[in-house]
Amino acid sequence: MTEVLTNSGLQLVLLLLVAPMLSGMIKTLKARLQTRRGPGVLQSYRDIIKLLRKGMVIPETASWIFSATPYLVFGTATLVGLMIPMTTTHAPFSLFGGVLAVVYLLALGRFFLALGGLDTGSSFGGLGSSREMTISAIAEPAMMLAIFTVALGANSTNLSEMAKVAVGQSWRFLAPSQMLAFAALFIVLIAETGRIPVDNPATHLELTMIHEAMVLEYSGPYLALIEWGASIKQLVLMTLLVNTFFPFGLSPDWTVRAVGVGLVFYLAKLLLLACLIVLVETTNAKLRLFRVPELLMVAFILGALALISTFLF
Amino acid sequence: MMTQAMSAMFEALRQKLGPQVQSVRADREDEIYLLLADADIRPITEHLRGQFGARLVTVFAEDRRATEGVFFNYYVFEQKGSAQYLIVQAPVRSDSLEFPSLSAELPAVNWQEREIQDWFGLKAAGHPNPRRVALHDNWPDVYPLRKDFPLETVLPPFEGERHIYRPAFGEGVLQVPVGPVHAGIIEPGHFNFAVAGEPILYLQLRMFYTHKGTEKLFEQLPIHKAVFLAESISGDSSFSHGTAFCQAIERAANIEVPLRGLVMRTILLELERICNHVGDIGAIATDVGFVIANAHASRLKETLVTLNEQLTGSRLLRGMVCVGGVRRSWDAAQLGALRSTVDSFAREFRDLISLIDRSESTRDRLEQTGVLRPDKARDLGIVGVGGRASGVDLDVRRDHPYAAYSRYSFRVPVYQAGDVWHRMQVRIDEVNESIGIVQNAMADGLRREFRVPVPPIPSDRCALSAVEGWRGEIIHWIRTGPDNHLERCKIKDPSLNNWPALVEAVQGNIIADFPVINKSFNLSYSGTDR
Repeated sequence: MTEVLTNSGLQLVLLLLVAPMLSGMIKTLKARLQTRRGPGVLQSYRDIIKLLRKGMVIPETASWIFSATPYLVFGTATLVGLMIPMTTTHAPFSLFGGVLAVVYLLALGRFFLALGGLDTGSSFGGLGSSREMTISAIAEPAMMLAIFTVALGANSTNLSEMAKVAVGQSWRFLAPSQMLAFAALFIVLIAETGRIPVDNPATHLELTMIHEAMVLEYSGPYLALIEWGASIKQLVLMTLLVNTFFPFGLSPDWTVRAVGVGLVFYLAKLLLLACLIVLVETTNAKLRLFRVPELLMVAFILGALALISTFLF
Repeated sequence: MMTQAMSAMFEALRQKLGPQVQSVRADREDEIYLLLADADIRPITEHLRGQFGARLVTVFAEDRRATEGVFFNYYVFEQKGSAQYLIVQAPVRSDSLEFPSLSAELPAVNWQEREIQDWFGLKAAGHPNPRRVALHDNWPDVYPLRKDFPLETVLPPFEGERHIYRPAFGEGVLQVPVGPVHAGIIEPGHFNFAVAGEPILYLQLRMFYTHKGTEKLFEQLPIHKAVFLAESISGDSSFSHGTAFCQAIERAANIEVPLRGLVMRTILLELERICNHVGDIGAIATDVGFVIANAHASRLKETLVTLNEQLTGSRLLRGMVCVGGVRRSWDAAQLGALRSTVDSFAREFRDLISLIDRSESTRDRLEQTGVLRPDKARDLGIVGVGGRASGVDLDVRRDHPYAAYSRYSFRVPVYQAGDVWHRMQVRIDEVNESIGIVQNAMADGLRREFRVPVPPIPSDRCALSAVEGWRGEIIHWIRTGPDNHLERCKIKDPSLNNWPALVEAVQGNIIADFPVINKSFNLSYSGTDR
């Protein structure tokens, strides 16, 4: 029991601290690629601290949903974070069906975020919510297919179980099914974290926003929770990607040495994936809104092919 | 001053239209005034447009009750291939206060006629939409440009709705209000979209939030100070507006600007154009999320505004143009900076354009987006970049040469497609042409005078001046008064004609594409509102 508590405590700290750092890192890398100096890596922490200290403006038309959403977004993202293996093959929590719970807890957060956008009655929020739902309607099945491909290989939907099997066969990612699934999940990652070419996290143009439009009315601590929650969700998805497909360095137990080595490997893998995201974001323009579903359909089809090819090869 | 050709034209018009055509005079060889007996402009407009293919450039009014007992409406016409402006002057009687509206046939003058209604209290009879435009609905009934309205007037508190929008009905039809306060550093304007899901059904525009009574202010300032006011009409077109104003004074007072002054004005006008076009190209790229192009465009723009500061002491080229020429000349170091900056800019600009050309995702976003059809552009009287991308082949630099433009050859890019991509293409082509003009002009007339002393400005002279600002045709019309003051100064920024183009161009597009369509026109709020 104490082991579970220390483990989850450790992973929680890691989750809360690494997530803003990763967002900051992506921003800094992007700026450097654009010949700008950009904000420092620690900027996301400063933003969160600043927002937590500020007062809030809550629209008169808002109901309890508006206030519940930030906690739900933050809570679901954190809970999901505790269910996936980060530095060891052992995730602290394993709830009802493992990977299914991950997908649907994230969906719950998104559902409330969309409700929160609608709740204020502002037209921008409504636009954002409707766009988010359109996108997730396709992104979600694509994600399921890709993850099932991996789960099939491990004969389990339990993420720790999947990680353990993966560690046993380090070069498995070269299999066609794994590569297809990785590509599908990468597109889903881009869409779910609101990055170019799907959404532009740095825009000030309300009319083009997706994620940002839903949270336009939030301020102060609520906004801090949502932003923090969004960066945790990003970390969770990236972790899912690096640890299921490239399980190098995942330590089999919770000893200090193993966790240390695991942490170094883990951060290095995250950094590489962040670089890939930054490259995609810098070399592409944003897609026309109505072509985003086409991109996600590609992810869906890649996921489907991955699933089929596990039976073929 | 009456040439043979003019008297022939006068006779022909007289024969066609009868005694309504009263007299003709030419203040300058390219500026002809035709006085009508009454306010009915319709027959002559029809004749000039039908017979000569003339284009109505602008419409404005003047309060001449003190001296002549009437208001005057001025209708400025131009004809393709001729450098002349024909200005038809139609009296509006001060008892009826009515003039016939042309807006039904010529949507291009819609807002301009309503400005006359708002500012002078004249009524555009038969106007299809005579609601207020330049003053908002909650203004009291005052007519600020009348001579009996003192500038210091304190208005009663404003009451009622600021503006009533047309409601949009239908299942799933929503109205999305955007503005007047926007995110980012831009000016105020209200956009009311009627949308069915994402596609835009109808856009209602509301401008004039920054109406400052600039035309009234011009009547209060001594002319040498009014130059600075002209520079602040629209911040990014400081030099164009300043030059247009100085040119008007010079024409009224018959001041001949020496060659070097004209050449330096030409160089600075082109630098202003290059600078803003590069900024716009970057901004269009930003709006489709192609940030890397904007990073480079911003860097290039910065080298140019730094050059501006070296050449004039102002990043926005302010304080350089003056009546009689330009305020100072350039030394060898400044000329060296101009040459090296423009040369390296030309090289880097090519790289920037090839970066954009190679980005298929950017092209995909911009092509077929925000199409303004050529027939719509002609009807709405669209000028400048937006016009040239939609087949409207107008450029004051070529059609009515001023400054030193007749000394250099350049191409005027015209496209028919009218989408965002081609509005950007017009800018790219123009930057390349402008680089050529600047490079040719640098050494032109080098060791000559750049300014002449300004004699006292004679009273009661009219003059029209046109400049192709980077957005398009800028018109200033002045009437001088006694004591180095102006009786009237009319300013027409190209944005005033072009805002309605946006309404056309966004129709059927999705609301997420509005920002980039808007940016591809990049119109001035301040210049429109004045």
